[in-house]
Amino acid sequence: MNNRFKAPAVVFALLLTGFALAQDPVADVEDTDETLKIAALHALMAAPPERALPLVTRVLEADNTHEVKERALFVLSQINRPEAGAQLLKVARRGDSELRLEAVRMIGISGNPETLAELEVLYASGDEDLRASVLEAYLIAGDKDTVFRIAQNAGDADEFEAAVHMLGTMGAIAELRSLSQSNGFTEEIIEALGIAGGDDVNATLLEIYRSADTEDIREAALEGMLISGYDEGVIELYRASDDVEEKRQLLETLSMMGSDGLMEIIDEALSSGQ
Amino acid sequence: MHEETLILYYYNDGLSSSERRKVEAALDDDPGLAARYGRLRAELDDLADSETPVVPSHVMHRWHDAIDGAAQHTSRGVEPQRSFSPLSFLWGAAVTAALAIGIGIGILLDVDNSAPETGPEASGAFSRGVAVYLRDTKQELAAMPAHMSADRTTLILDIIEQNRLYELAAEQNDSSDVARVLRAFEPILLRLAAEDITPDDAEALRTQLAFELEVILTKLSRDSSNDRQST
Repeated sequence: MNNRFKAPAVVFALLLTGFALAQDPVADVEDTDETLKIAALHALMAAPPERALPLVTRVLEADNTHEVKERALFVLSQINRPEAGAQLLKVARRGDSELRLEAVRMIGISGNPETLAELEVLYASGDEDLRASVLEAYLIAGDKDTVFRIAQNAGDADEFEAAVHMLGTMGAIAELRSLSQSNGFTEEIIEALGIAGGDDVNATLLEIYRSADTEDIREAALEGMLISGYDEGVIELYRASDDVEEKRQLLETLSMMGSDGLMEIIDEALSSGQ
Repeated sequence: MHEETLILYYYNDGLSSSERRKVEAALDDDPGLAARYGRLRAELDDLADSETPVVPSHVMHRWHDAIDGAAQHTSRGVEPQRSFSPLSFLWGAAVTAALAIGIGIGILLDVDNSAPETGPEASGAFSRGVAVYLRDTKQELAAMPAHMSADRTTLILDIIEQNRLYELAAEQNDSSDVARVLRAFEPILLRLAAEDITPDDAEALRTQLAFELEVILTKLSRDSSNDRQST
């Protein structure tokens, strides 16, 4: 018998009674009530999950403050049982707007594959905030496949950009390359590659810059190098260029990057023709 | 005197005031110990100065031992003495260097050895390392100035950097649940670092993070206790 969690009844009482402190001002009573409930929720983490789960569920269903319910959602995310996932999903579907977003985040933290899969349905019918929260939940869960699928099926440019940006943040280079096969290297994909970074990506960004058909793509590639911190590539481009305007732009980029090679380049520029 | 104690003394972390005084007295009385500490300090100074610390494995092991020791010390109910001042960023920098070394253990497991360490000992060491990190982060957040300042932003960005390293270590140690929680902290930390955040919103985020850090600490402690009971 696990005796470390000795007083579930006490925690239960703390969570459900409301701590009537009639002689105190109302505000103080509410503050104390909230503080104690949050402390009780924390204490529940020491309890066996099967005992903690019904208590946390009742906190969510009772008339508690937003903050108490948010804390309850986090505790739920740490209870590795299907019922906890189901409860999180219930709030994500039907809670008030802020609590829904928090429940979505918690589903990401819980990492339960079945519950995470349900988020894709919510994404399809959700507003912009909910969609952003779902993408963040997939980031937290490390689920690149689903974000890739969302990007592939994006209904408009904003949706595509948000999903691609998230892929970059997740370092999903293979998925971004795969997207580029059907969409080409768009500005969004190039920027996301820059966010993902790495030697392979840097080489790709350099190649995209050199072979760019439009000024927008060239600028996106340069921005990608800026984001990934690839100053060696920018220096290489600078030295290879004969175009004064392009050199000026590359120099500005190096300056923004705080590149160690900047002084050398400036010295070269100032010394030329002497 | 153990090297772990000297390491903790160097980083001004994990030792009580009386323990620090004992170390100081020992360094004054024992020239051999003072010389040994001088060498250690030079080694750790070099690591802190290096932009990308390349950590020798023997230093990593010593740091790991020190983390373990500090965790055990704290678990015995002795509150570690902290000299953190929100006005001094030096402490944050020292912690960053120290944690970069600590996390190097996880990163270099794959570089130095053909196979990562596995089993209950490696897992226990990882859990203790994460627990120390979470506890330190909670204290840093609590001591952070309420109003936005350059120091505060830099401190939060440092925490984000450490957080990413521990997330990486969690993944390498097959602790995907810890990795997910650490990943979930990052958007909140980024919001906290935003220049236009109001003091009320910052306080709400800080309170939320403090709660989540505490819950994870309790969970880690519970899991480790369950592991001990089952073996």
